[in-house]
Amino acid sequence: MSTMTAGDRPVARRKFDGWRWSGRVFLAFMLFFTVMPMAWMLITSLKTGFAAMQYPPQWWPAEPTLDNYTRLVDPRSKVGQDFLRYFWNSMFVSTVSTVLAVVVAVPAAYAFSRFRFPGRNFLFFAVLMRNMFPAVIFLVPLFILMRLLGLANTHGSLVITYLTFGLPLAIWLLKGFYDNIPIQLEQAARIDGATRFQAFFFIVMPLSTPGIIATAIYSFIGAWNEYIYAYTFLTKHEQLTLPVGIQRFFSENATDWPGLMAATFMMSVPVVVLFLVLQKYFVRALTEGAVKH
Amino acid sequence: MGTVPGQAIFTDVPVVPPKRVGLMRKVYRSRADYLYVLPAIVVMLIVIAYPVYYTIELSFFKTPASLQLKDKVFIGLDNYAYLLQLPAFWKVTVQTLIWTVSSTLFAFVLGLGCALALHREFVGRGILRALLLIPWVVSAVAASYVWKWLYHSDFGAIGALAVQLGLTSEPINFVDNVQTALPSLIVVNIWKEFSFAMIMLMAGLQTVPDQLLRAAQVDGANAWQRFWHVTFPHLSGVSMVTVLLLTVQNFNSFIIPFIMTGGGPVGSTHIWITHIYEFAFQRQQWGRGSAYAVLLFLIMVLLGYFYVRALTRGDSSRAGS
Repeated sequence: MSTMTAGDRPVARRKFDGWRWSGRVFLAFMLFFTVMPMAWMLITSLKTGFAAMQYPPQWWPAEPTLDNYTRLVDPRSKVGQDFLRYFWNSMFVSTVSTVLAVVVAVPAAYAFSRFRFPGRNFLFFAVLMRNMFPAVIFLVPLFILMRLLGLANTHGSLVITYLTFGLPLAIWLLKGFYDNIPIQLEQAARIDGATRFQAFFFIVMPLSTPGIIATAIYSFIGAWNEYIYAYTFLTKHEQLTLPVGIQRFFSENATDWPGLMAATFMMSVPVVVLFLVLQKYFVRALTEGAVKH
Repeated sequence: MGTVPGQAIFTDVPVVPPKRVGLMRKVYRSRADYLYVLPAIVVMLIVIAYPVYYTIELSFFKTPASLQLKDKVFIGLDNYAYLLQLPAFWKVTVQTLIWTVSSTLFAFVLGLGCALALHREFVGRGILRALLLIPWVVSAVAASYVWKWLYHSDFGAIGALAVQLGLTSEPINFVDNVQTALPSLIVVNIWKEFSFAMIMLMAGLQTVPDQLLRAAQVDGANAWQRFWHVTFPHLSGVSMVTVLLLTVQNFNSFIIPFIMTGGGPVGSTHIWITHIYEFAFQRQQWGRGSAYAVLLFLIMVLLGYFYVRALTRGDSSRAGS
């Protein structure tokens, strides 16, 4: 699956391949469509507030500046303090909920992949169904639940809430990985005297590390980008996560577009870097369940 | 995958029950298995089953804005009746359909085009694929702000570009105009998710046997015929899962309309989710919001049924049970 064999495709090497050229033109168009907004975000973030508010726009900043970025990460300025705090909050919430989701999902996914216990199909069905439910279904009751538990306005409320989408997804992704690990390995271990749990823990777990990493990234990105719960549950200024914090901060000075673009860029960096580094695993995790080989 | 020969080594897990065994006995025999899924089940009961139940319950009550639950009053189906006779509800329903269908359709078609064009090996293919995937990874919040700025009525890049290319005489006001607001947001949504379809279909394309394509070529099939009669039928399973997932995702969109327009101007970009949010958290009409959510929930269950069916096809044979 990881090796994309396309080199030996039956390519008609005749005078002019119309399909091939239309494919290239199409790709060029899609590349422009995809990259143009990101490029404009970067270009704007290098402008001064004055330079951004011009018509016609400066397609390239006359005086490029990194001020917007230094301001965001400068712990001495008010803006910098807020931004760094939101960044840290996002990091904390995303990490804790990811770890929890993976720890709970690993044994469950393994059981769904290997064991045949009564109710297995029904339970797995319930797990899959969760992927269909919109966040709003859970919003009001979880809001009430968090108030009852005294967790309103804490990061704990977000960590628990993020399990509503992180956990089912993690179980589903991991099951796909376990399905692809040959059961003979465990059988060999069992013959050598390992208990069932030992076979799982010492044989299968190390083999499924790529799957666990991919699943963890997936949950992390989901939690990092989450907006609706964070927006609803948190009202205290110092607890906001990045997506909500940015919005709140910039609604106070609505015209600072370069600052906003710099902040959205900084917010995107961790997930894009994670994604680019571990792209292979990520893509595999995503398509594993839907494509049978 | 496939068969699992010799699974009988797990003596406590009979693959083929020897004779008819009572359910309780089977449950008892598999008691160790449940330990593995128990934590997941407990968490899911608390954070998923309980909220679903509670939303349904609240939809039959009138709950005061302060959310003092002891003061809630049972009013039967009044919340549902109220919604169904509300003209705004039907207007938003139409908008939701437009939003969902056109986003899904364009995202799928563009994704399919990219997957086909990227299927051949060429220099820079990996980089291109990674670049095309980025919109799908960045947060919808970031995407919404970036596009809001691109669409800006005075200083937006798109409006200025259109003027410089001579397409319009003055910058278009994209998101503050009742006619153009929804289509403009749909473009953002397509930008955000077409690469999801692309990556799914790229994986699907690898399952198309080369021999078949060659055979078709030898038989004189042209590129279109090869695609339509060989490639596309092989993609039907992945396509179905992809279209379903996109549909669900679009039905459940919130961030893009909420941040970019907040449902305005004059409600022209409200879709169900943003409308529900407005009922519950902005007007504090918890009962109506919950009833609205239950209606959405029912549609999701229906879509979910098809999704699970598409996804688990072949799963039982793989699991060997």
